[in-house]
Amino acid sequence: MGLLEIIDKDLIINPLTSVKREDIIRDLVGAYCDKEALDEDQREAIVRAVIDRELIASTAMEKGIAIPHAKIPFLKKSAIVIGVSRIPVDFGGSEKSSIFFLVLASQENPTEHVQLLSSIARLCSSDVFVRMLASSRSADEVYQLFFD
Amino acid sequence: MTGNVPFSDMLVYLDGSEGSMSAAMYAVLLAKGTGSRLHALYCINTKALGDLVKARIFINQEKAEYMDDMGKDARRHIRHIEKLAHSKGVEVTGVIVDGSPSAEVLRYIKDNHVDLLVLGSVNMIRSRREELTSESDRMLRTSPCPVLVARDDESIWQMFEELD
Repeated sequence: MGLLEIIDKDLIINPLTSVKREDIIRDLVGAYCDKEALDEDQREAIVRAVIDRELIASTAMEKGIAIPHAKIPFLKKSAIVIGVSRIPVDFGGSEKSSIFFLVLASQENPTEHVQLLSSIARLCSSDVFVRMLASSRSADEVYQLFFD
Repeated sequence: MTGNVPFSDMLVYLDGSEGSMSAAMYAVLLAKGTGSRLHALYCINTKALGDLVKARIFINQEKAEYMDDMGKDARRHIRHIEKLAHSKGVEVTGVIVDGSPSAEVLRYIKDNHVDLLVLGSVNMIRSRREELTSESDRMLRTSPCPVLVARDDESIWQMFEELD
């Protein structure tokens, strides 16, 4: 599945209101777990995996984008949660981040996971796209940007 | 060219998706029906992995892990098509390469005189953004030989099961 097949309007948070890295990760993971009705242990396992990965090296990149991600053994398919914050947040990179793509990978199709991350990276290389994303005001607006 | 069939060397591109497995089945059926040679190629996308490290999305340890995972995935899928082909009495040349999938497929087509490319599901056009063009879309647009798109459809599985 490509990026557009995986993006789900219910998994877009705009605006994100948390201002700390761990809280943002919890918000993003929470949206996914609520949608998939995962239990508390699974929620914690995902949060831990994403935080552990961030602690090795922050996924905050230029243009205010961060792409936290992790491989989750019990997931059957990959998922993406998008969050946009009005206030740039210190996500551990050299500049603050306001656009977040949480990518949760199943272990079943590593090629698909790499393709998803690669599509996000390519998309975010467009200054215009990133500006539009940063200035979006709702989940609907974010969703529409991908399908223009 | 094989007899009255306008192709003699067919290449099916595998990417680990269900769609590409349906395409593999269809390619086996076509090879069986036409007597043409069948090649199957899986490309480990090291171009994307390299780009992800450059963009600092992946660390080197992740790159190594994914190389390993994708290598295993590639071998699993090549073994699978070999099994499918042999079950129908068809020979297949399975190849694993690394690099940029669309570039590697084009190179293979040229180097091996492939005259039909078989692809699995090509994405619906849901966005005009060039950045979201998939590898299969690129192959479809740039292939120097005719391309057959096998839709991921249960009828392919059924036809495959019914063929002796």
